[in-house]
Amino acid sequence: MKALSLKLPKFKITPWSLWIGFLSLVIIAGVCAGLIVFWKGLVVTNLTDLVPWGLWITIDLSSIAVAAGAFSLCAGVYLIGLKRYHAIARTATFIGLIGYTMALFSLLMDIGRPDRFWHALVYWNKHSLLWEVTMCVTLYLTVLLFESMPIFANLEWLQKKFPKLTAKMKGVHHYAPYLAVVGLGLSMLHQSSLGAVYGVLKARPLWYRPDISVLFIISAVAAGMALTVFVSMISARLSNRIKVDDSILERVAYFIGWILVGYLYFRFWDALSMTYTYEPGRTEGLSLLTSGPLSFNFWVGEILLGIVTPMILLLNNRTRNLPVWRMVALLLVVGGVVAYRWDTNLSGFLIVLSYLPGQPTISYTKYVPSLIEFLAGFGVIAYGIMAVSLGVRYLKVVDHSDVLEEEEVSHNKEAKAIAV
Amino acid sequence: MTDKNFNRRDFLKISALGVTAVAGLNMIRKAEASSAVEGAHQWAMVIDQSKCTGCGYCTLACRAHNDVNPDISWNQVIQVEKVNGKDVFIARPCMQCAKAPCVDVCMVGASYYRPDGIVMMDYDKCIGCRYCEAACPYGARAFNWEAFTGPNPAVPQWGEPEIERRGRGVVEKCSFCYQRIDRGLKLGLTPGEDADATPACVVACPVGARLFGDLKDPESIVSKILKERVSYQLRVDLGTSPRVYYLPAEPAGTGVQG
Repeated sequence: MKALSLKLPKFKITPWSLWIGFLSLVIIAGVCAGLIVFWKGLVVTNLTDLVPWGLWITIDLSSIAVAAGAFSLCAGVYLIGLKRYHAIARTATFIGLIGYTMALFSLLMDIGRPDRFWHALVYWNKHSLLWEVTMCVTLYLTVLLFESMPIFANLEWLQKKFPKLTAKMKGVHHYAPYLAVVGLGLSMLHQSSLGAVYGVLKARPLWYRPDISVLFIISAVAAGMALTVFVSMISARLSNRIKVDDSILERVAYFIGWILVGYLYFRFWDALSMTYTYEPGRTEGLSLLTSGPLSFNFWVGEILLGIVTPMILLLNNRTRNLPVWRMVALLLVVGGVVAYRWDTNLSGFLIVLSYLPGQPTISYTKYVPSLIEFLAGFGVIAYGIMAVSLGVRYLKVVDHSDVLEEEEVSHNKEAKAIAV
Repeated sequence: MTDKNFNRRDFLKISALGVTAVAGLNMIRKAEASSAVEGAHQWAMVIDQSKCTGCGYCTLACRAHNDVNPDISWNQVIQVEKVNGKDVFIARPCMQCAKAPCVDVCMVGASYYRPDGIVMMDYDKCIGCRYCEAACPYGARAFNWEAFTGPNPAVPQWGEPEIERRGRGVVEKCSFCYQRIDRGLKLGLTPGEDADATPACVVACPVGARLFGDLKDPESIVSKILKERVSYQLRVDLGTSPRVYYLPAEPAGTGVQG
């Protein structure tokens, strides 16, 4: 902090300061939009009684999805025992924490009475999927905070001011395996119950099926790991001080490729099974996706660019080993999962199934987010990117140096052994 | 790294604990599988489509007595078809389902069952997440996207407000005019027979197309007419068990719809 305040007077325009400046502007615009929402109410959105959830829910679902790298990589490191990957699990944990706070911001705007957010914790209807979601968010956010303690202990200012505290914070690392178990349970429950939020609604035949829960978990693991590897790669490319072990990143990217195979497989059967016989509301919903207004999102955003292209790029040894192609593939995975969340939410709402007697008739409705929704949404996203950027720079969120050292040591040992 | 302390046995122990906890939670859920606890009364509404002329007085009376925003209809009247050259309408209040999807999904329990079968809203609890709107098959719920300020255009011509106006940011819906029922019962009146104890829409209907009463009382007007005439409910296939019954427009009751 001292260094910072000294630097401030002689402000220099660097790519870093431009980047932070740009993100700050987007955040400021977002905060203004958010204040307008709190002041004027949700009437400033384009949401209606027919489409009560829109862009912000997509951002909420997506930021939870990209947070899934945390539970999956922590489980890999501490439960399966792939200790080599602990450096990337750290990155994933931090991204997870930021993702969850992003979700909280977008939800806070999205509920009609933000001042009553605490009702969700105090008044329980255990039968509600959103109750389960609330509990998982709260508990898992707590777990993520504990898991991130050793990362926050890296803040130089904190180390100088409170050396004992930071030592304690680092000590939380000893409980990492236990936190990983709890986190695995909570996070998987959370990802799947977000899918089930839609899946239990009998009034919406397109959603009323168990598959969304499963697809939400699989796609979240792909997106979470993808974003983690992407952040690690781009950080190492932009800064000389950040060292990464590319062999680790390459292995995780390869694994993501296989997850995409599984994701495509389930998505294929999920969609195909809906084409048999006519079911009012469901058949129309599927055709919204495959040939209606959402078809570009579905075929290009979700399937072609979101699954098939990155799957090929990540499973093909040559393209996977080219950093640029690997990074493109990872970004496509994240984009595809965001498109999936958007399509899932919207396809169910755009179909209005009549309750009138006789043959159920279908009508369609529309939803395009308003400017305020976009500004507030971009603000939340910019906050997430800014937090991760600051974390990478000041908290060593991406730091594989100990892994690299260990490998060097073991290399040397081997070399010595051979020499002896 | 202290992973040495964490061996397979510990992992299994913790996992077993987790599984037990989840199983326990599910058992609690089953025990609480929500449905109404039946009280002494079970209110129901019967709407006779052969009489309804689609005048919309019910909607206006509802807006006045419940102080509803003119942009919102707790009770919507929709034209559905023509029978023998005559327009047929359907009036749609809240169905007060015995197995209400909105009660199931409400995370804070702001939607709940009264013992008399009315699905109530606790406007002080609602956080405005709108999950219930997504869950309701009848479109019976409306969100207050903005505050309803200023005078209510339906007042005083169609009645005086009897309940507090809802603020911005909560979901609202028809409540069978619970305030009239409760007040009427205290005064010794019979809902469905005495106007002061009966929902405003039933009282306002100029052609007597709406009937109200207690299903538990075999002598009530709704019990009697449901025994005599063919009736149907909306979307019974969803298993919601609505408490609003419709008498079809065809006089002989041949065309049982729904």
